[in-house]
Amino acid sequence: MNEQRKDILGLLAEGKITPDEAEQLIAALERDQPPVAAGSEGRPKAKAKYLRLEVDTLENGEPGRVNARVPLQLLRAGVRLAALIPPQALTRANAELGKSGVPIDLTQLKPEQLEALVEQLDEMTLEVDQPDAKVRIFCE
Amino acid sequence: MMPQLLTVRVNRPRGRAIRIWVPVLPVILLLSPFLILAALAAAVACLVYRVKVTQAFGTGWRLFCALPGTRFDVQEGRTAVLVSIR
Repeated sequence: MNEQRKDILGLLAEGKITPDEAEQLIAALERDQPPVAAGSEGRPKAKAKYLRLEVDTLENGEPGRVNARVPLQLLRAGVRLAALIPPQALTRANAELGKSGVPIDLTQLKPEQLEALVEQLDEMTLEVDQPDAKVRIFCE
Repeated sequence: MMPQLLTVRVNRPRGRAIRIWVPVLPVILLLSPFLILAALAAAVACLVYRVKVTQAFGTGWRLFCALPGTRFDVQEGRTAVLVSIR
């Protein structure tokens, strides 16, 4: 029995409220309480903390493996570096990208947009399966 | 929270594996004279390239503090290198 219910019954016992009022108060109390989630389905999904990169290779009969784990927090901090790029460097980079046939305006790229991109990485899983190499990028 | 410990492990096909544990804070304290010089040089570079000094240092510190949990494990045949930051 929770404290609020005890208080209401205490008031009823002391005669400060009538049984009808006590019933109304308890009913209001039950309405205000959030429903208990059944099982784990009601729980929010745990947020990913790391970006994982797994590479398995087979070169000249020798197996190779790369297993990297990078905190997403590091990526979030890293995208803020975009705000530190001098404007003249961005202009030159835009010109070079334009020459290479990639007309992207880097001055329009805001750190907030990059952060939003990192936020959406949670759901991403990238798998490349080749006969001599296997690459898997995912978040955990 | 800033990194506390850097672990490097190298397994070689022949010979013993090398394990190095680097406590970050003592190393920073040891290198602090050089770090102060490096910070001054970075501040001058920021002023030359018209980048906000406080923003640059803030971003650098945030990057540094986001390092714990980073782990790189590379194996090639019987050689393996592990770098872990905690």
